[in-house]
Amino acid sequence: MAPPRPGWSRRAQYGLFFSFLAVIAGLIIGAFMLGLSLVAPQSFQAVRGAALDVTAPISSALNEVTSTAGGLVSGAGNYWDAAHQNAKLKVERKKMVQRMIEAKAIVQENRQLKAALQLRERSRAAVAAGRIVGSSLSSPRRFAVLSVGTGDGVRVGMPVRSPDGLIGRVIDAGRLASRVLLISDRSNIVPARILRGGLPVISQGRGDGTVDLRPLEVGRNPFRRGDVVVTSGTGGLYPPLVPIARVIRLDDDGAIAVPLADPANTSFAVVEAPYEPEAQAAEPLPLADAP
Amino acid sequence: MVRAALSSGRRIGQGPRAGAAAIPAVSVIVAALLSALPIVSTSGWYPDFGFLVLIAWRLLRSDPWPAWWAAPLGLANDLIIGAPLGMSVVLWSATMLLLDLIDRRTMWRDYWIEWGLAALLLLLGESFEWWVAGLTGPVGRFGSILPPLLIAIFAFPIAAWLVGRLDRWRLGR
Repeated sequence: MAPPRPGWSRRAQYGLFFSFLAVIAGLIIGAFMLGLSLVAPQSFQAVRGAALDVTAPISSALNEVTSTAGGLVSGAGNYWDAAHQNAKLKVERKKMVQRMIEAKAIVQENRQLKAALQLRERSRAAVAAGRIVGSSLSSPRRFAVLSVGTGDGVRVGMPVRSPDGLIGRVIDAGRLASRVLLISDRSNIVPARILRGGLPVISQGRGDGTVDLRPLEVGRNPFRRGDVVVTSGTGGLYPPLVPIARVIRLDDDGAIAVPLADPANTSFAVVEAPYEPEAQAAEPLPLADAP
Repeated sequence: MVRAALSSGRRIGQGPRAGAAAIPAVSVIVAALLSALPIVSTSGWYPDFGFLVLIAWRLLRSDPWPAWWAAPLGLANDLIIGAPLGMSVVLWSATMLLLDLIDRRTMWRDYWIEWGLAALLLLLGESFEWWVAGLTGPVGRFGSILPPLLIAIFAFPIAAWLVGRLDRWRLGR
């Protein structure tokens, strides 16, 4: 415990006083930095990206270890039941082949119909594919760390998805890694529609791994349990028809849904170019300033 | 420490480890680096490990590092955990100031007072983090900081025990 005064030595007294001043100076500098990073989030982009490059390789390496250990356990489990699994898979394969032939026919028909309608299809270019190697642990802001960065062509504001569904959008990009604002964050609002019926809705995160769905039109609650919600492409940031979430519970005028792409179990995530490039500049939220 | 001094196992020439003065600050950075572990949390209820260890050191000793080191340590923490830059700088400097002031007022310390102080500081830290996050976008109700706060308060004794062991090790006791 510090004594109230370090004896009668003038030197020690001054030392204590100046260290006190130094702490206050640190406090003021910190407050200034905080103000700057809140008012102009892009001002520290380079520093934040560099810090991400330092910590992300640690996460990637450790992630490799844990997934290898997990793979060994599940791999051993697969050998245990191999004969039974083999028979089951053969039956499944036979069914799948039939379904595939049907699907091919449908695709062909679809192409012909689209050609007839003169529909213009935008090509969706994948910018990079990486793994989710970490996340914010203690912050009310929910974001994940992705193992690709500007070196792979990733830019701030690009949408990120996995094979299962939408994950979020890039908010910080270092050379080797980037930070992704998850769709379950409260500040991430995604224009969406219900797959059944196509009614337009808005999806907003709730900060606890689920999302809140609200219909654009006030009135009867359009949701049903089990409904799947997909992006509508409105606003131009997220490409249309990417699955977002499945409804688990209804509340008075909307519903609560669980994202289909669980960031904790996603093996890899794909960064895509914004659906309409001009959307990057027009993004209204403060977290996604154009680079 | 009286009992430790009386025990006969002391060797001649035993003293502080090399770099003993830097070990507390390094341990705070290492604790902050725990957030680089490949854990994907959907709720964000983990404690702020760097802050926890900082409080544990400062409550254990009044001089683990010169007080102004709190600012650069906080900056490192902000960069590691990805918080808005300056958040931990302000919080950690304010913590050092507050504890210096409290040190002048308190007559005695015991385990429960320390835990109470730590709980108070953790409450301040969580509220400040919630407030800052609220400036960058919408956040939940204030009550949503309760679960992570409780987890951090119950994690404090573990951090305090680890820091105590580390302190004895670095001083060669």
